[in-house]
Order: sequence, then structure tokens, then C-alpha cells
Amino acid sequence: MQERGSWRVGMDPSFPPFETLDAQGAPIGYDVDLARAIASQWGLEVEIISIGFDSLLDALLVYRVDAVISAFPFNARMTKDVHYSSSYFEAGVRLVVDADAAFEDMDDLTGRSIAVEWGSRGDAVARRLQRAGAAFERLTFQSPQEAIDALVSGDSDALLIDGVTLRLAQGEGKPIRPVGPALDSDPYVIAVPIDAPALQEALHEVLEKLQQDGQLDILNARWFGQQPQ
Amino acid sequence: MIHRIHNRFRPIAEWSPRGKKLISLLLLCSVIALIYRSNFRNWVPLGPQRVVETINPKMGVHTRLTDEPEAAKIKRSLEMVREMGAPWIVEYFPWAYYEPRPGQYEWSHPDLVINHANRQGLTVIARLGFVPEWARPPDSHHLYLPAENYEAFGRFAAAFARRYQGKVRYLIVWNEPNLSLEWGFRPVDPEAYVEMLQVVYPMVKAADQEMLVLAGALAPTLDPPNSEWGMNDLVYLQRMYDAGAANYFDILAIHAYGWGFDAGEPAGESVVNFRRSELLRDIMVRNGDGDKTAMITEGGWNDHPRWTKAVYPAQRIRNSLQAYEIARAEWPWLESINLWVFRFPWDQKSYQDYYTFVSADFEPKSIYLEIQMYAKGLYASFE
Repeated sequence: MQERGSWRVGMDPSFPPFETLDAQGAPIGYDVDLARAIASQWGLEVEIISIGFDSLLDALLVYRVDAVISAFPFNARMTKDVHYSSSYFEAGVRLVVDADAAFEDMDDLTGRSIAVEWGSRGDAVARRLQRAGAAFERLTFQSPQEAIDALVSGDSDALLIDGVTLRLAQGEGKPIRPVGPALDSDPYVIAVPIDAPALQEALHEVLEKLQQDGQLDILNARWFGQQPQ
Repeated sequence: MIHRIHNRFRPIAEWSPRGKKLISLLLLCSVIALIYRSNFRNWVPLGPQRVVETINPKMGVHTRLTDEPEAAKIKRSLEMVREMGAPWIVEYFPWAYYEPRPGQYEWSHPDLVINHANRQGLTVIARLGFVPEWARPPDSHHLYLPAENYEAFGRFAAAFARRYQGKVRYLIVWNEPNLSLEWGFRPVDPEAYVEMLQVVYPMVKAADQEMLVLAGALAPTLDPPNSEWGMNDLVYLQRMYDAGAANYFDILAIHAYGWGFDAGEPAGESVVNFRRSELLRDIMVRNGDGDKTAMITEGGWNDHPRWTKAVYPAQRIRNSLQAYEIARAEWPWLESINLWVFRFPWDQKSYQDYYTFVSADFEPKSIYLEIQMYAKGLYASFE
């Protein structure tokens, strides 16, 4: 990488706001900026290589790219083949309430209603919680937007929704907030070759630095909008 | 001290006959215990004979137990298929796994799958394919079967039919031969596929007259003429008939994916949707094969959040339910409809995970629970 002067990052630019193409066909998005922020810490240029999502790991395994940054989920089965960074975005299912509501966990929602998108992962989590004995009414909606609107309008007391949709809704100004940890974790990570310990260590350090400097928060706000205070 | 130990462990030749017998008996017991353990450690009881309760006897799913080694998980998968209300399964039985050397068969895994499926009251449709190394040229793709080895494939299919006589009644010969990928990365060749059927079909029938052979299982595709990737399924099926396929299969296998279209969307030659099955049926009828039935052995919708051919989860549920209902109420020529795919042994971490009905750890997805309600007759309307 240092000899080449560039960091080759594989991504599938089809998942805004993490990665997409602008009107001129150039990749833009959270992950593009994250790659540039990391590379700049190393004095490198970023070379974005567009690859279909299902082929990203293969490209990494044959060294066609130096890293994959593409809203890429952690996969425990692949940890013998690739190295994953710590998570920079939690896309798992969150319990979400009105920004002003006093609810802080599932126990507070006993006897209340929770909105979900019918058939979604949030719906599956709601059904799992009900099977485990949680006493709430599950309200199903045809789309995530309708489920969010039900919470905002007061037709439901809470919402179970994935982290990406949550942040997009917050960015649009919806007065909602997550409570508690993810109920069905789905962390987005950066994948690098298993046999590149120096790169792994450098990645670990730079992600920590970007976190401490507040740069990850800036990126988050740039691409998803401000979170409600 | 050393002298005493030496006396205690005398050479075997100096042991008494009784001591030798005792040691021999102990060794024999150990060997038997090891054999027992290696053969039965992956064993779970079949349990009582079960029956699938459903309002729609055509409902099925494609299971994917090929790479599931654990007997307990095989059993649980099949229990959950029954509990969902689906009486049919399609399962893939790779030739290379079960005949690693010519004439040497290893049936332990298919025994597990088929015996447990039967015990859960499920009807198994067995898909055969995947060429062992010994039956293809060196370094060739595992889906490359040279014509001179059609007979070897036929021998395997016949051996399978004999072994599972009375337990399996349906065999699919090959998968999606209209795709170059599935034809060993060669140009697709419907006439050559019919030659395969002409060899394999009589061998299967000779092994088990009751076995019904499914052909086709064509990938729905709009590939233009002379495409390097594949051939339009409608064109391919007609060419199969032109090459004399009709006498060498009993049932047509159909793949019916909905992509982004609703289940009720009308069929059209330039559209890949669920009702494209009707166009394949029309070709059967036009070729005088209308008395035969068909089975959908793969199909369905995907709800991956970023795959271009996916739909929203709610649409996936609605379309899947409607597809089962169309099969039941509108298509008398269709015997069963098996949607892709019930479960993978582990997460694929790709769009394929969004075809499943239960997770790798058996958590039922919402679509599973909704289909279960449908099978119990708890759905009044599909609008």
C-alpha cells in the first residue's frame, strides 16, 4: 500500500447513505468518507473499487482489494479467513421510543403497544419477545415509514426497527430515540486480509483515534443528519 | 523397587492363558465401543410417525440439508417444516458426496435425511447432480458431465432409486441445465440434456418402476439468443420436446421466482415472474404432454434490504401466501410448490439469507409464522 501510495477499498455503491454514486458516477457516502479519513491518517489516497456485495469477500481473499468497507456485517464464520475491525455502526434491531417518553427498557412497555414493519427483523424480534413472555401488543405495518409514523403520532408506544432506518428517520427530524442495546446485533465492520497484522493494528488505532476525535460522529451527522438532543 | 515393578509387568509371552483371554476381551470390547460410538454418536431417534396438517396439500419448501451434518438439526428442520404445514420437501443429494469412488456408495447422510423426512410425514423430491471427480475430466467444473458418463450418472440414480424404494418417489435429473454455470460452464445444449434423460430415465425405471422422474428445473431467464450465460427457458423447453424429451420424464420441474413482481402479475414472454410457470405449462400442452403434471421445485421472493431483485418483507409474505393459494386453487396441473429455501446450516451473509423461513439457529421468521397460520386456515383473504 505504501509503495503504491493508495489504499484499495472494495465497496458496492448501492446502499445510500453508506455508499452510492453521484450524478457524475463518483462514489459518495458515509463509507467513502470513512475510507478517506482512515487513508489520510496514513498519508494514502483511497482507490474505491466497485464490486457486487456478494463478491466483496472473494475480492479481499484474492487480494484484489486491501479492505472492504461497504456497510459490511460481521460474520463469525469468516473470522478464520479475514480480519474484522471493531464495529463503526450498529445496524441491529433497536427498541425506539418517542424522544420525550419516559420508557427506558422493555419492562416499561408491559401492557403497551410496539409498532413493527410486518415481516421485518424487528417483527421477528417482537414475536420472539412475546414468546418469551413479554406482554405488549404487536402492531404491524406494511412499511417501516408507517411504523415510525405510528410512534410519532402516538398510535403506538414504541417501535422495533433496524439501526439504519432509525438513523435515517432521526435525520429527517423524527423526534425518536433508541433505548437499551441492540436486541439483534448487526455490527458493520471493516474487513482486511487475515495475514496483514500491521494493517490490522493500524486500522484498530486509527478507528480509535477517529472515534476519540469525534470524526465518526461528524460523519454520522453528515450522512444521516443530526440526532435529536 | 525397580525389580518389583519389572516383575509386575512381565512380557506378554509370559502371561497366563487366563490373563491373555481377559486382555483380549477388554480389547474387543473397546473396539466394539469405538465402532458403536463412531456410527451412532450422530444419531437421534426418529420418533413417532407424524402427519402434516394443512389446508393446502400442495405446500412445500426446498430444504437445504446437504451441508447439515448434525442429525438433531436435520430432525429439527424437518419437524419445523411439518409444523409449518408443508407436506412436501425438495432436497439436493449430490452424486459426488455419495459415490466418491465408482461403485462405492456412502448412504449415511441421505439415510438420515430421508428417514427423518418420512417420519415427519413429508414427501421427498430428490434432486440429483454434482459430478464426482472420477466422472469428469481433470480440473473440470463439478457440474460438467461428459456424455460418455451419462451412464455412470444413471447407475448412481438407479442405485439411489433402489435404496430408497418406497421412501422416495420423485427424482429430479439435474438442475437448471439452461444455464452455462449449471452445465459445467459449457454452452447450454438442450439436445444433450435430452440425451442424458434418455440414458438415465430407463435405468431409474429399471431400478424402481414406481419412481417418477422430473426433468427441466429450468432457470427462468430472458437471455437473448446465443447468450454465453444461458438460454431462455421457454425456448429451451420447446427444444427439449423437439429432441424427443417427452418419453423420458414423468413430471416437469419448474422454477418460479417472482423477483420484484406480485404473485398475481400476469405472465408474459418478456417477463420473469411467478406466473411464467403458466407459459411452461402451455408448452407442455402444445406438445401433447398435457396429461403430465408439473411441480415447482424452487421459487419465491427475497426480502434482502439491498438486493436489486428483492421486495419488502411484507410483500414477500403476501406473495408467498398468494403463490401457495394460486397453486392450490388455480393450477390443477401442478402437484406441489416448493419455495426456496427453508433454512441454511449457517448464515450465508448474503442475499440468500433473505430467502429463508427460519434462521440457522431455528428462530422462525415472520414469514414462517404467517404461512403456518395460512396452513391452519386462519387467513380469510389475500388482498
